[in-house]
Amino acid sequence: MTELLDLSGKASGTDSRYGMVVDLNRCVGCQTCTAACKHANDTTPDVQWRRVLDLEFGQYPDVQRLFLVTGCQHCADPPCVPVCPTGATFAREDGVVAMTYDDCIGCGYCAVACPYQARTIVHEKRSYFGTTTIQEASVDQPDRLGVAQKCTFCIERLDEAAESDLTPGVDPQVTPACSSSCIAQAIHFGDLADPDSNVSELLAENQTSNMHSGLGTDPQIHYLVETPAVSSRSHVDSEPAPGPLQKFWDIRATANFFFGGMSSGFAIMAFVAYLAGEISGRSLTLAYVGAALVMSIGLFAVFLEIGRKSRALFALKKITTSWMTREIWAAIAFFALLAADFVFNHVVLHLATAIAAATFLYCQARILHAARGIVAWRVAEIPAMLVAGGLLEGTGLLAVASGWFPQLFTTSHVCAVAGIVLSCLCFGLWAAYASRARTLKDDDFYLDIRENHFAKPTRDAINAVKWPVHIVGHVLPVLAIIAGYFSKAQPHWLWIAGGCFAIAGGLIWKSTVITRASHQQGFSLPSIPARGSGRRAAGARFDVPRIQEQAR
Amino acid sequence: MGEKKQIPVYCYQCVAGPDLLKVEVEDGVATRIASNFDIRQEHPGGGRVCVKAYGLIQKTYNPNRIASPMKRTNPAKGRNEDPGFVPISWDEALDTIANKLKEVFDSGLSDESGYPRIAASFGGGGTPTQYMGTFPALLSAFGRVDLGFGAGQGVKCYHSEHLYGELWHRAFIVAPDSPRTNFILSFGHNGDASAGVTGIWRQADARARGMKRIQVEPHLSVTGAVAAQWVPIKPKTDAAFLFAMLHRVLHELSIDNVCDTAFLKDMSNSPYLVGPNGYFLRDAQSRKPLVFDQRSGQACEFDKPGIEPAILGTHHGDGVEEGPDNTSWNHVNVAANTSLQCLIDHVKPFTPEWAEKECDVPAARIREVTDEFLAHACVGETVEIEGVTLPHRPVAILLGKTVNNGWGGYQCCWARTMLISLVGALEVPGGIVGTNVKLNRPANSRQASAIRDADGFMHYPFNETSKDAWQQDPKIRNAYNTLVPLTSDSAWSAALGPAHLPWLFLKKAPTNWPKPTTPDIWFQYRTNPAISSWNSEDVTTQIAKFPFVVSFAYTRDETNHMADILLPESTDLESLQLIQIGNTKFIENLWHHEGWAIRQPAAERVVDSRDMTEIATEIASRAGLLEKYNAAINRGAAGMKLKGDNFDYQLDESIEHDVETIWNCVAKAASHELSDGKSVRDIHWFKENGYMLREFEEINWFLYPHMRENNIRFEMPYQERINRHGAQLAHRLSEIGVTWWDKQLREYEPLPGYQKFPDIWTDYVTSQGGDPDDYPFWALTARSMQYSWGANAGIPLINEVANNIAGHKGVIINRAAADALMISEGDPVVIRSIAGVTRGHAVVREGIRPDTLLMIGQFDHWATPFAKDLKLPSLNSVQSLAIELTDATGSTSDIARVSIEPDPEGERRHD
Repeated sequence: MTELLDLSGKASGTDSRYGMVVDLNRCVGCQTCTAACKHANDTTPDVQWRRVLDLEFGQYPDVQRLFLVTGCQHCADPPCVPVCPTGATFAREDGVVAMTYDDCIGCGYCAVACPYQARTIVHEKRSYFGTTTIQEASVDQPDRLGVAQKCTFCIERLDEAAESDLTPGVDPQVTPACSSSCIAQAIHFGDLADPDSNVSELLAENQTSNMHSGLGTDPQIHYLVETPAVSSRSHVDSEPAPGPLQKFWDIRATANFFFGGMSSGFAIMAFVAYLAGEISGRSLTLAYVGAALVMSIGLFAVFLEIGRKSRALFALKKITTSWMTREIWAAIAFFALLAADFVFNHVVLHLATAIAAATFLYCQARILHAARGIVAWRVAEIPAMLVAGGLLEGTGLLAVASGWFPQLFTTSHVCAVAGIVLSCLCFGLWAAYASRARTLKDDDFYLDIRENHFAKPTRDAINAVKWPVHIVGHVLPVLAIIAGYFSKAQPHWLWIAGGCFAIAGGLIWKSTVITRASHQQGFSLPSIPARGSGRRAAGARFDVPRIQEQAR
Repeated sequence: MGEKKQIPVYCYQCVAGPDLLKVEVEDGVATRIASNFDIRQEHPGGGRVCVKAYGLIQKTYNPNRIASPMKRTNPAKGRNEDPGFVPISWDEALDTIANKLKEVFDSGLSDESGYPRIAASFGGGGTPTQYMGTFPALLSAFGRVDLGFGAGQGVKCYHSEHLYGELWHRAFIVAPDSPRTNFILSFGHNGDASAGVTGIWRQADARARGMKRIQVEPHLSVTGAVAAQWVPIKPKTDAAFLFAMLHRVLHELSIDNVCDTAFLKDMSNSPYLVGPNGYFLRDAQSRKPLVFDQRSGQACEFDKPGIEPAILGTHHGDGVEEGPDNTSWNHVNVAANTSLQCLIDHVKPFTPEWAEKECDVPAARIREVTDEFLAHACVGETVEIEGVTLPHRPVAILLGKTVNNGWGGYQCCWARTMLISLVGALEVPGGIVGTNVKLNRPANSRQASAIRDADGFMHYPFNETSKDAWQQDPKIRNAYNTLVPLTSDSAWSAALGPAHLPWLFLKKAPTNWPKPTTPDIWFQYRTNPAISSWNSEDVTTQIAKFPFVVSFAYTRDETNHMADILLPESTDLESLQLIQIGNTKFIENLWHHEGWAIRQPAAERVVDSRDMTEIATEIASRAGLLEKYNAAINRGAAGMKLKGDNFDYQLDESIEHDVETIWNCVAKAASHELSDGKSVRDIHWFKENGYMLREFEEINWFLYPHMRENNIRFEMPYQERINRHGAQLAHRLSEIGVTWWDKQLREYEPLPGYQKFPDIWTDYVTSQGGDPDDYPFWALTARSMQYSWGANAGIPLINEVANNIAGHKGVIINRAAADALMISEGDPVVIRSIAGVTRGHAVVREGIRPDTLLMIGQFDHWATPFAKDLKLPSLNSVQSLAIELTDATGSTSDIARVSIEPDPEGERRHD
């Protein structure tokens, strides 16, 4: 398939800006678009690039049921594109957010960055009946295995249009399958840059609503929520809409954030101890080597997570935009510098290696924060939590090391001061973060609070570890450090215990945030249709009061 | 990559079809489905196909297909018996069937009870006909066949509407004139799940221009979802709501101001005088019904020129009443109400306050809805259709299946048609129209079927109930022509009789009735009564008693589990057939064109299957029926007469013809007739082009112009004929000692009365020894757009996409009700009734009454591959099969009293 695509999008005409207008008053949830998309795009079981949800609002008997057409919104500011470490995901000039499957490593970053649940990664070959039929074999798309996939607005059809006189959105053969198949004419497709196009006219003449526009994605599916007679009604979810728990980043990703954060934090804190004169340059380089080993475990774990391992090095491509690429480059720099430092043992290299570690830690913090599809990750506290947490865990590891190997790491002052300061800082950050897991009150209508407030499943996951994290990760380390500061016992069990508590606290919250509280952004709209009243259609004759006046 | 071709075919998986599609084929493998956009200008749904068509690829390549003919080796039949099917050759299979047929012919076509020895059952709505090629010609050649073993009606059938609709306005199915309708009051009509591409297309267009729909139903259906308002109503009390609307119009408002009095006067029987015995007062000589002429102050014949009939009041006159069985009453200066006055008096007790207590909807709401309906009716407006000025009444009332099926169906259909008649919205632009006829003839023209009778109404071919002509011995086991005068006696009548009675009678024989028998041979095609019947477990037990069952089998299923021979037919994308399209028919299929379309082999066959036409020809030939079979085809059994006034494409009746030859003749005859001989097309042309059309005038969507032109009146409000037939039928049954149909006979009323319909089901629980309090919920069902009637339950793609719509993963229960029972989303639950048990998982929603459960579609499979693993509950499993629950038309409703509780044996659903 890939060879058929014009990756520049220029063939489709640089003046075009394709998008959709979905008339929610028309959609009946029949799933024809979903099935037609599956045919047109040969998607495998449980992969739906076009999906129509069946939502309910309100309580019996005041209930409204809504069928919501979802899928890739082909955002003008697509959060999936900058995060991609390989450039496999890109936005064409005609607005289509497209994929080059052969460039994708299947890291899943785009999937967690998408707030519309639009992306899927299939790792194993699937068939509908358990055995591959001859039809499935003939439409097999092996290039999609282990990589991210999503709606392309039926890109081949758009490119075909560019080579012909046909118009997407008008001529069915060059219109996305979902739109041309829709039996309610609910899905309108066309060129938003053309003021005379069907979609532009619909947008100009009607009230529309966008999904999660507060996230700055500028989605290009516009939902028509107006009927001729009644304008839409604004809609505020009584609860943030919950999405499913993401499965793209599992315990292997947690390992990277845990080991990577701790190791880089350890390297940084060791350098601080070196500056403070508590450890020697040689001990520092040994610490760097230790940090590198720990960091490698995390990186190897994340290597195991990607779908196309042979393409792992493709992840080095997008240093200009992707924090994942930058993280890898920072890791490479760290390894290279520590090797040099190990050989030359020079203060400049000490510093450079520490800076590489800090860069690595910062990249990690930004990676998670840039994943806008996961509410628990995109919130403001996350970068600081990851940096402070990495430093705290690194301090913990330093404390363990100095407890165990006092001859190499006599770092009591740095550990004590940093441990207490970082514990307090992390306590505050975690408390602020966990406050997003409180139950919303009726007056919590500030947009930011609502958009970034945790849905119930996320709340439950966070609240389950809220105090364990505080106690294990923040309180006990401080108590152990204070006690240990005045203790002379060898080996320094209190240091070791305090360090272990700090590390354990980090492990608890990171594993929770990454694998158990990482629910995808749910679906909701700020306005929903109020359905037709018939007033316009009935005209002057519509006169219930006149009828009622005659009641005896 | 091989050569890609686009093969045009049609999809007719539900009665809302056909829709045309193209199959993409690569190297002989059908790869993808897409709409046939060639016909987008002519097809009223933009040439598109719905979700079901996209399942056809998987249907073709389903590895669970029966790969060759098979025979049963285990003579014991039953759900728990392994049939021991083994592959056999086509020759052996066909010879076995032919020999069995010869045995039947040798022993006579009728058995000791007078019933046909051969029976055949097909799936819902006549859709199998669109796939069975020339099999109807084989049935015709058999001579006598019992087509009345029901394959399930409820979720598939608008039963009362079919019968009364045809009587009142040639409306086997009723549709709104969606392009003009501005207001629809829908009582559970789930058109956005069941009305197919054209229905959804037209309704979406109507909503987009501002049409308002109020949905009155116990659960918020997909159709309710796109309605302006949802009015939750207690199940089976819709008649109370409708009766209260009549009360509002006729007792609280001014008839002159809100009703179309001209329509009532000239187009209905409103002015007809009703005598003291409940029959029309007639002229003693001409026997024509009388009206009261306000000009002369005298009663006179209804069609006397220059009169001004009164539609209201009590008047006096001389005349005669004609009662049942030739009884008559002569009257002199007798007081007689007009028919409309009878109606007014009849609905007096049905106040909105009364209805509120019945249906749990506030009286004020009923009044508001009524007033909106009246306001939207635009009484007095006109519109021009193709140069003809017609009334413009943009209001419609639609009824769902459980509403017009079974007890209460007559009341709802009558009240709906009456309300529509009061504002003159019957068969006019914007109002409600019928789409086709199935019981009247000719079948291809509603207008031609509407012939004026002596009373000024449309002639209706009732089954006779007079002493001389009543068919005392039922023709077939469901006794449609004996028990239900309204079913008439067309090719469709067997299916519209009390089609569940044969199963019930086999379980318990009725008194004073021919002994129930099983057929010697039973053919079943595209039907699965062991799943789709009420009380499916009971029906399964009866099927197991059938001695010789021939199943056209796509995969194994619950019914062909009892088969003796399995014949793998070439399915939708593998076989050849031509059918008529366009005109007006079924659900909202109102076209500006009519013509023919083809279904043809698109893909190479993947199993040892055969085209139904080939199978029919082979059986005919081997059973010695070839000439009769060919003659039936020549007469039109394949959908088109092969000989007309100006053409003759008949087959040589003495020899076997291959599939292509037969359909080539049909193609030529069809195209000849369509083009008046100007464009005669062969089968190859159809294969290439897919379809052939000619224009069809929109004025033909409406019966009103024809009625007006021919001075025919709609038979509303007064049902004299129904009343008389009921009385006569009561006499006949009484004469032979049948008392088990007495309750049904009471339904024959000239103005239908109300009874507490929900109590029928509650009382039934008591009658069976149960305590209604143990079954506190109403269980209902609803059509699934994706599964339609369930024929594609074994298609994983359909399951995948259907699961996006709530209810396809279990039983829908109200959240508060679920909380009270400690039931959460996905919990395993068990649902019990007095009749059976079904298991599934809870789907917790707000859009359903707290006293109601909803099980979409028809499931509970135990043999069909894939479907049996879905573990979905089914209303059919808990539905009772009982005379007490059967109405006078021979149908019952999809409803049961049930309990629900957590299922300790089940596992939680986690998806």
